Amino acid sequence: MSTSSKRLLIVWLILTSMTLVYVWLDHTADQNGMLKASTVVTVGAIVIALIKVRIIFREFMEVRHAPVLLRRLTDGWVVLIAVCLLGSYFVGSAVSG
Amino acid sequence: MTTVAGAELREMPTKSWPGQPDMWFFVLFETLLFTGYFSVYLVSRTQNHDLYLQSQSDLDLRIGVFNTIALLLSSWAIARCVQAAREGAYRSALTNAYLTIAFGLVFLISKVIEWVKEIQMGNTFTSDEFFSHYFFLTSIHCIHVLIGFVVLGVVVYQLWSPVRRSQQLVETCATYWHTVDFLWVLIFALLYVVR
Repeated sequence: MSTSSKRLLIVWLILTSMTLVYVWLDHTADQNGMLKASTVVTVGAIVIALIKVRIIFREFMEVRHAPVLLRRLTDGWVVLIAVCLLGSYFVGSAVSG
Repeated sequence: MTTVAGAELREMPTKSWPGQPDMWFFVLFETLLFTGYFSVYLVSRTQNHDLYLQSQSDLDLRIGVFNTIALLLSSWAIARCVQAAREGAYRSALTNAYLTIAFGLVFLISKVIEWVKEIQMGNTFTSDEFFSHYFFLTSIHCIHVLIGFVVLGVVVYQLWSPVRRSQQLVETCATYWHTVDFLWVLIFALLYVVR
C-alpha cells in the first residue's frame, strides 16, 4: 500500500471514529430514553461535524495541496458555517429565554 | 492537469486547484444555501425545544450512523479513484468508481427504508415542524445524491476509454461527490444528534 493510500485509509478511520463518538454523545444526553436539551451536546455535535468537514476538504478533496486561495477560502467557509450554526443556536436560545 | 495518460498526470497536484474552479464555486455556493437553511432550522428548534426533542426521539441514531459511514466509505473510494487515475492505474480507478456508486446506493436504500419506517410510524412531511425539516433536508440531499450518480457515471465513462480520460474531469466529479458527503455530515449532526 502506497503512502498516499495509507493516508486516505487513516483519514477514513478518523472520520468514522468521530462519527462513532456521536453514539456516545447521544447516550450522555438522554435519561431513560427521554431526549434532553443540552447545550454541550449541541455545540459538541456541531464542532465535531465542522472538524469532519475540514478534514474532508483538506484530505479527501486535496485542498491541502491546493493554492493558498482555495485553502483560505475553504477554511473561511468552515468558520462561516460555525458562526452561522452556533450563532443561530445561541441567539435563538437567548430570544426564547 | 488537463490532459490524459501523460507524465504530468502522475504528479501530485501541487499548487493547482483539484478539478475545475467552477465546481469549487458551485460547491461553496451550495454550502452557503444549506448553511442558511441549517440556521433557520436551529433557530426554529430553540423556539420549540420540547416538540423537536419529542419528534427527534422517533429517529434511530444507528441508521444515521450507518448512513454516514456508507457515505464516508464512498468518499474514501472516490478519493482512491482520483489517486489511482493520477498514477495511471485506470483499472483500479474504475473499481473504486464502482465502489463509490455501490456505497452511494447503500446510503440511498437505507435512507428510503428509514423514510418508510418513519411514515409507517405516522411521521410525515406535514406531521410537525421537526419532520418537515427532516423530510425537506433529507430529500434535498437525496436529490444531490441522485445527481451524484450521474456525475459518477461521467467518471466511469471517462475512465472507460483511453481517449476520453481527463484527470481534471475526474477530480471535478470527485469534488462534487465529496460535497454530497460533507453536507450529509452536517445534516446528520443537526437532525440526529443536536439537543
